[in-house]
Amino acid sequence: MILQEMANSASQWSRADGPEAEIVFSCRVRLARNLEGFTFPPWAHDSVLKDVSDKVLNAVKRSHYLKNSRLIKMSELSSTERRFLLERHLISPEFSSGGPHRFLITEKREMISLMVNEEDHLRLQSILSGLQLMDAWRLTDKIDDELEQNLDYAFLPQWGYLTSCPTNTGTGMRASCMLHLPALAVTHKIDELMKNISKLGLVARGLYGEGTKSQGDFFQISNQVTLGSREEEVVDHVESVTRQVVGQEKKARDILLRRDGIQLRDQMGRAYGTLVSAYLLRSEEAISLLSKLRLGVSLNLFPQLNVQVLNELFFMITPAQLQVKEGKEMAPLDRDELRAKVIRQRLGKLK
Amino acid sequence: MICQVCGEREATFHFQEMTNGQVKELHLCEICAQKKGLGQTFFMPSFSLSDLMAGLTELEVPLSEEASVTCSHCGLSYGDIKRKGKIGCGLCYQELEEYLTPLLERIQGKVRHSGKVPKKGKVEDQKERRIYELRKELEILVRKEEYERAAKLRDEIRRLEREK
Ligand SMILES: [Zn+2]
Ligand SMILES: [Zn+2]
Repeated sequence: MILQEMANSASQWSRADGPEAEIVFSCRVRLARNLEGFTFPPWAHDSVLKDVSDKVLNAVKRSHYLKNSRLIKMSELSSTERRFLLERHLISPEFSSGGPHRFLITEKREMISLMVNEEDHLRLQSILSGLQLMDAWRLTDKIDDELEQNLDYAFLPQWGYLTSCPTNTGTGMRASCMLHLPALAVTHKIDELMKNISKLGLVARGLYGEGTKSQGDFFQISNQVTLGSREEEVVDHVESVTRQVVGQEKKARDILLRRDGIQLRDQMGRAYGTLVSAYLLRSEEAISLLSKLRLGVSLNLFPQLNVQVLNELFFMITPAQLQVKEGKEMAPLDRDELRAKVIRQRLGKLK
Repeated sequence: MICQVCGEREATFHFQEMTNGQVKELHLCEICAQKKGLGQTFFMPSFSLSDLMAGLTELEVPLSEEASVTCSHCGLSYGDIKRKGKIGCGLCYQELEEYLTPLLERIQGKVRHSGKVPKKGKVEDQKERRIYELRKELEILVRKEEYERAAKLRDEIRRLEREK
């Protein structure tokens, strides 16, 4: 029931109201924390996980930021429902395999969420629209302070916050930005860009389709190490590199528009045409067309549309979102039909 | 391209990650991607290949020794930790320090934590927390361009750091 209610609206951070939101889809800060004196979740018995979740849920009740949140028990969800939460970036793939005493706490706008008994006892995250990573850090930092009033964290001066995986030891912080870089992708600049970013002590990731290497054109930049630097330094670094990439994407868009204006208009017009008239759309096809259209909207080629509508559509058309919203499991062909209908209605209404 | 996990079906999920100029790629079929909790969401999966592949096997320590020393809280040996790639509990960091230090240095570099410190830490941590809070104040002052007060605060931080 809770999930169906969630499925009726997109997460707050998809609203595209943050700075540079046409290029920076979202920014995220997550912290890993563990309780002193308790075995970490990958090795813990159920009774330990229960004690940990009791303690954490008690601290959540006293948290000003989290007390009115939704509490979701992972063991009560179907695999589609877990996928739904995964796609909304509220849980990790590891968490989506379920298990007892695992909880998700998410505040109504889905900007703040907390996984209890994932790989670490606590995984706290904030996601904001656009490029405002420092604000995301400040928010997460405050909630972390608040939770800590009622919890004892495992910590050593030399190693910082102690985590289950040595890749998180220290600050336990991962700061990342998700970018939409269609113009850099189309001009084949992504590989070089990713290589350069990775040499700056950051991690660059891309998700791409067969052949094109750029399906969806979405990329992520995040910090690599968690030990030795202060949180603000790391956040600042990720933010400033992201800002440079935003500059490059803008330049690539200008060049593209000047050099191949008519081809670009043609491609985006065709993408729009297919999206508003198709009766069956497979997920990958829809994503690739929506990505093209999103670029067109950013370039003001479709004055009747805005980026928010596109962001919401990306959200609404994944298999799990469609099925949770409908409240039933659906065959692939039925999903393709419903997906096409959702898109036609949403874009058609705005004509 | 064939799926890297089952080696049977055609891979449709392609994921690329780059660190230090090196590429790691993951190619999965839809079924294996689903099993791993990935699949064709347009969003980036919120996991990291480095995390998944943080192989602990590269460290050459004799097996018998790895198995003989165990943590008094969770009962794990370094051999156990190595196999799963996950540390057992907070006390492992102290009692298995001899094995974990080279591992952490390989992943993180030879550095010391210099970030946030819990408010309720032990007595020896409290100075670090104080420094952490002063640094935050300092940043706010610099942003407000209150340089005189910022300079005073910077001196105070230096003094505390010398005392450590
Ligand atoms: Zn497979
Ligand atoms: Zn232990």
